[in-house]
Amino acid sequence: MLKAGFRAGIASLLLSTAAVAQDDTIKVGILHSLSGTMAISETTLKDVMLMLIDEQNKKGGIDGKMLEAVVVDPASDWPLFAEKARELIEADDVDVVFGCWTSVSRKSVLPVFEELNSILFYPVQYEGEESQRNVFYTGAAPNQQAIPAVDYLMAEEGVERWVLAGTDYVYPRTTNKILEAYLIGKGVAPEDIMINYTPFGHSDWQTIVSEIKSFGSAGKKTAVVSTINGDANVPFYKELGNQGVSAEDIPVIAFSVGEEELAGLDTAPLVGHLAAWNYFMSVDTPENAEFIEKWKAFIGDPDRVTNDPMEAHYIGFNMWVKAVEKAGTTEADAVIDALPGIEVPNLTGGTSVMLPNHHITKPVLVGEIQDDGQFEVVWETDGLVEGDAWSDFLPESAVLVADWVELKCGNYNTETKTCGGATN
Amino acid sequence: MSFLRACLMALLLPLLAAPALAQTASFEDLVAALPEGSYSARGAVVGDIALTGDPRAEAILTALLDGTLGVIAATGQVVTLAPAPADALTGAPVAEAGVAEAKVEKIRVNNGLRRDIRAALGILTLSDPDPAKRLAAADAAFRAPDAAQYALLDAAFQREQDAAVKSRLAEARAVAILDGDFPDAEKRAAIDVIARRGDADAQRILTPFAASPDPDIAEAASAALASIERSRMLWGYAQNIWYGLSLGSVLLLAAIGLAITFGVMGVINMAHGELVMLGAYTTYAVQETIRQNAPGLFDWSLLIAAPLAFVVAGAVGVAIERGIVRHLYGRALETLLATWGVSLILQQAVRSIFGPNNREVGNPSWMSGSFDVGQMTVTWNRLWILLFALAVFAVLLFVMKRTPVGLQMRAVTQNRPMAASMGIRTNWVDALTFGLGAGIAGLAGVALSQIDNVSPNLGQTYIVDSFMVVVFGGAGNIWGTLAGAFSLGIVNKFLEPYAGAVLAKIIVLVAIILFIQKRPRGLFAVKGRAVEG
Amino acid sequence: MTTLIDRRMGIFLAGLFVLTVAIPVGNLAFEGKVVPSYIVSLLGKYLCYALLAVALDLVWGFCGILSLGHGAFFALGGYAMGMHLMREIGDRGVYANPNLPDFMVFLSWDELPWFWMGFGNFWFASLMVMLVPGALAFLFGWFAFRSRVTGVYLSIITQAMTYALQLAFFRNEMGFGGNNGLTDFKDVLGFPLQSDSTRAGLFVLTAVALAAGLLIARAITTSKLGMILVCIRDAESRTRFLGYRVEGFKLFIFVVSAMMAGVAGALYTPQVGIINPGEFSPANSIEVVIWVALGGRGTLVGAALGAILVALAKTLFTGWFPEFWLFALGGLFILVTLFLPTGVLGLIEGVAGSRGRRARRASAALEDGVTEEGAKA
Repeated sequence: MLKAGFRAGIASLLLSTAAVAQDDTIKVGILHSLSGTMAISETTLKDVMLMLIDEQNKKGGIDGKMLEAVVVDPASDWPLFAEKARELIEADDVDVVFGCWTSVSRKSVLPVFEELNSILFYPVQYEGEESQRNVFYTGAAPNQQAIPAVDYLMAEEGVERWVLAGTDYVYPRTTNKILEAYLIGKGVAPEDIMINYTPFGHSDWQTIVSEIKSFGSAGKKTAVVSTINGDANVPFYKELGNQGVSAEDIPVIAFSVGEEELAGLDTAPLVGHLAAWNYFMSVDTPENAEFIEKWKAFIGDPDRVTNDPMEAHYIGFNMWVKAVEKAGTTEADAVIDALPGIEVPNLTGGTSVMLPNHHITKPVLVGEIQDDGQFEVVWETDGLVEGDAWSDFLPESAVLVADWVELKCGNYNTETKTCGGATN
Repeated sequence: MSFLRACLMALLLPLLAAPALAQTASFEDLVAALPEGSYSARGAVVGDIALTGDPRAEAILTALLDGTLGVIAATGQVVTLAPAPADALTGAPVAEAGVAEAKVEKIRVNNGLRRDIRAALGILTLSDPDPAKRLAAADAAFRAPDAAQYALLDAAFQREQDAAVKSRLAEARAVAILDGDFPDAEKRAAIDVIARRGDADAQRILTPFAASPDPDIAEAASAALASIERSRMLWGYAQNIWYGLSLGSVLLLAAIGLAITFGVMGVINMAHGELVMLGAYTTYAVQETIRQNAPGLFDWSLLIAAPLAFVVAGAVGVAIERGIVRHLYGRALETLLATWGVSLILQQAVRSIFGPNNREVGNPSWMSGSFDVGQMTVTWNRLWILLFALAVFAVLLFVMKRTPVGLQMRAVTQNRPMAASMGIRTNWVDALTFGLGAGIAGLAGVALSQIDNVSPNLGQTYIVDSFMVVVFGGAGNIWGTLAGAFSLGIVNKFLEPYAGAVLAKIIVLVAIILFIQKRPRGLFAVKGRAVEG
Repeated sequence: MTTLIDRRMGIFLAGLFVLTVAIPVGNLAFEGKVVPSYIVSLLGKYLCYALLAVALDLVWGFCGILSLGHGAFFALGGYAMGMHLMREIGDRGVYANPNLPDFMVFLSWDELPWFWMGFGNFWFASLMVMLVPGALAFLFGWFAFRSRVTGVYLSIITQAMTYALQLAFFRNEMGFGGNNGLTDFKDVLGFPLQSDSTRAGLFVLTAVALAAGLLIARAITTSKLGMILVCIRDAESRTRFLGYRVEGFKLFIFVVSAMMAGVAGALYTPQVGIINPGEFSPANSIEVVIWVALGGRGTLVGAALGAILVALAKTLFTGWFPEFWLFALGGLFILVTLFLPTGVLGLIEGVAGSRGRRARRASAALEDGVTEEGAKA
């Protein structure tokens, strides 16, 4: 009697496994949270993937085979990410997965991709310090976002005093550590750097904003480098605006605030605050105009915006398509070998290349918030910057390099000339 | 205009004569240099443009600040873009054939440059007949100290009649003195002027002088800084209390509805946070409607939204009570299970209807910005929320204690069979009570939409805190909720500067756990038969 | 109700036994993998949840202590095991540091913090899996029960406890890996975690632990001690007036339950491959309560069943209708509460007929208890 429900459940699990035996389509897994705290950011990425797959099918798929999207909801629950990744690869038999947002969700699925030898495209800017054979990082590494941004503030705005404010998790921790080492290397005194961490979803910013104000009143030009995570930004900026901290006094440069986040915000008091990304919706190129038009048509809302992780998926998806065409198969090992060196146009007028360390080349743009919720580019790097998996500014990782083409290693120690760790 | 110009030129003459500031570049050359170079180089150009005193300078710099100054890429001709493209220097229209709009590039401006432009414009408007403009000009000069402007500021100061503008000019002049190469006596006098401000700006300006090689200046600056530090510390306490009250008002709003549904009725209402969220989304819907149909009413949006939010959340509350909770009276803990289900459904419903993204809820003008009380910044939105929370509390108290409906509510929750036998329609009162709690949660949503994200997760962020507040204050006692909310808020805010936001919260939680050991029924325990058999 | 293994327990254990044999055999013995590997770890995870649910049922169902913080004990057990697994990685981490786990290298820790000492030893870690949650439960219970904190007040402070722990474990300064938690495990006692046979072994171990947990819980609740616990649940003051030291009994059962939850967590970590502060979140602990209520409070077997059913529903719903699964799950909770007051087990046994009257009687007794509790609230 008790077993009945049990058995029914298992049977249906098995059934879903058996039902995917047909092989006439190429399956693309989409592993983004559609509920829970991260749904705010990740749902859009699921939609953009559906659009890209749709587009590709209109072009006739890949080598005549149609693409089929398999969507699951890992519900912002990190262990569930691992479970769903396993389900996608083992039960649904997908050929590639596009997914994850937070570092912890990526860390959670890493062993699964390694064990089952599949491919993950990860589209979000992250803390670096990782290069895994089965993962392709299409978001920015710290050297493609944080360091150029700080350079800009130092050179163009004469900033001498720094507040590094972030949410207490690994991305801000690492980024701030790298920045601290970098700034001290540039001659900034340690007392001119203030580091502050807040919990996820922090909503009462009164104390911290007033601390920032008083830190900024020490006679030197001060800027805030913000690695505050999505949800906490709205109350943070509201408090900044209300307490009268204008961008001309203390500019805030953010690494996690894009067009999507600003869409939930009255941007009038924020004009002039900055963000550093590899893509802005306002970038004026024909590719971008076409992408935006398609996106608005696909989603059926003329007010929807595009943002940086969406571009990362656009690049990643096109790279994967090219690699599959080059390899002539969707088989993981062949595609992984084919990917480094693949070049595709990005949306900012350049051509991004997949590097041997599984990161890509990207331009770095610094934009100022406008009152219409868009960014205006005030500065950009001359060319494209190569993503560096292992930061040169941290002593432990400065000696490491990742190269999956020549060295076949994600953490090769250039001093001991060995491939450390067990990352294959 | 010509008078102004003459005036300016007269003021500028001695400056131009000074060898250090000799100008060789013409106004035309300077304007032509605006589009190119690094931002800091262009900042210097902006300063030079102002110092030429050319009458066209103000218009050009204003256009640059507003982002309506462009350059024709091919020829390097600087043009104003609004209302129609015209040469910036001559004002001649350039909309002739060949100059398509696409070829005109907007000249990029960043924060640093914007600051320079404001300072430059400040110089140009120091003699404006409008005192408000002169005050703004003095302010701009104060914010961007430049010794080169000393002569101008001094002249303006001597000339000035308006007391407020004059004192501001004195400060602006003082920072210019401190910025440049002036005799020590003048510098010490300037330090005194600045020290009288006694605020963060004064601290910012004076700090570098505490380490001055000149012992007199260093001493004057250090003394001034020490006194500023003392007064700022005292104000710091006041500020912390204010922040605590403000945080407390948010907690109170989040918890007060729960004080009814959970505290008075004993229903563990896990969907409480979602009722708050419904209030916030009602505000969003009202604002969207207003934006599209009657933008003039925007400042009234919250006043319109409040009753609607009460009705929407209240109606959902009544539906929950009638549909689910009423079957579970006497099984209090099972209401937890059912209302948890309700909360999942409400979250997903909002996500399906409005999308998973944050929605923009704007602050009406009377809730934006801040004012200073001494050295303390009070933001309008926090102040209004505090007043709103207290008002809601007062109304609720009145309803519960002074109206027949409130009397019936209390009667039913204290002794249901007795109340029923006295002829009270207990079903009806139950629905009403739950609806009241839910409606108040909706009102809280209106207020919280002003300071937090409006997203499907809104409710989840407040649910744990709300239960904490009600239990800490003592379930069943509305005054307890008030005291609980404010004391938790203030304690949290006093801990935060020392312990950091995360640790402060942990300490507060541990303190609540320990406090409950001491007073197992909260701050204001309800006494009587209902409490324990 | 004095036999150790009554009918429902018998059926459940038999089912569990069949599963324990069939799943590993199906996974390992045949060439084509009749049971795919991911089902093995999925079911392993369900069984961990089931053990956690049994632990909660022990205190809530039989002693009336509604803990909204049992996820904390589960997570602490998981962390204890996770710390051992981190130590087992040794120098195979990405920085190849033999002494420090990767996240410590990366945040510039110079040496292993004192509280990580000893976790390199499996047996020490296994001991800690029970001792740490047990000690926390003892400390917490000793204060709370002595002060006679009861009903919802107790529930809310258990929630405060798990919430405070969640925030604490989020902090990177704590040395538990912050938000990312502990991950990237390689092997346990030399068996690689990514191999099918290790997974099958862990699955069997979890099933055995669940069976043992059920039997221990059953043994306690059918003993004289169990009778007193039920007395406390139904009329705490009366029991105290009869001369029993209520605090002691409550403390005992709370500690046993916490240890059981710790074991569940320890088995959970290697099977899902990650442990992080999310496990401490109040919402997770509430879910545990829901499992127990859904399965049937005070029935032990029902609690285990409830956990498995809800977890299964979540797995299936998130895959079938990723956009709408919360409607289904939320609706399920409401329907069960309204129409199945005795839980799924009550329904099954009610349908089974002959035993229906007895189940109803049991549930009526249960409701009486809850009624009094509700009035107290």
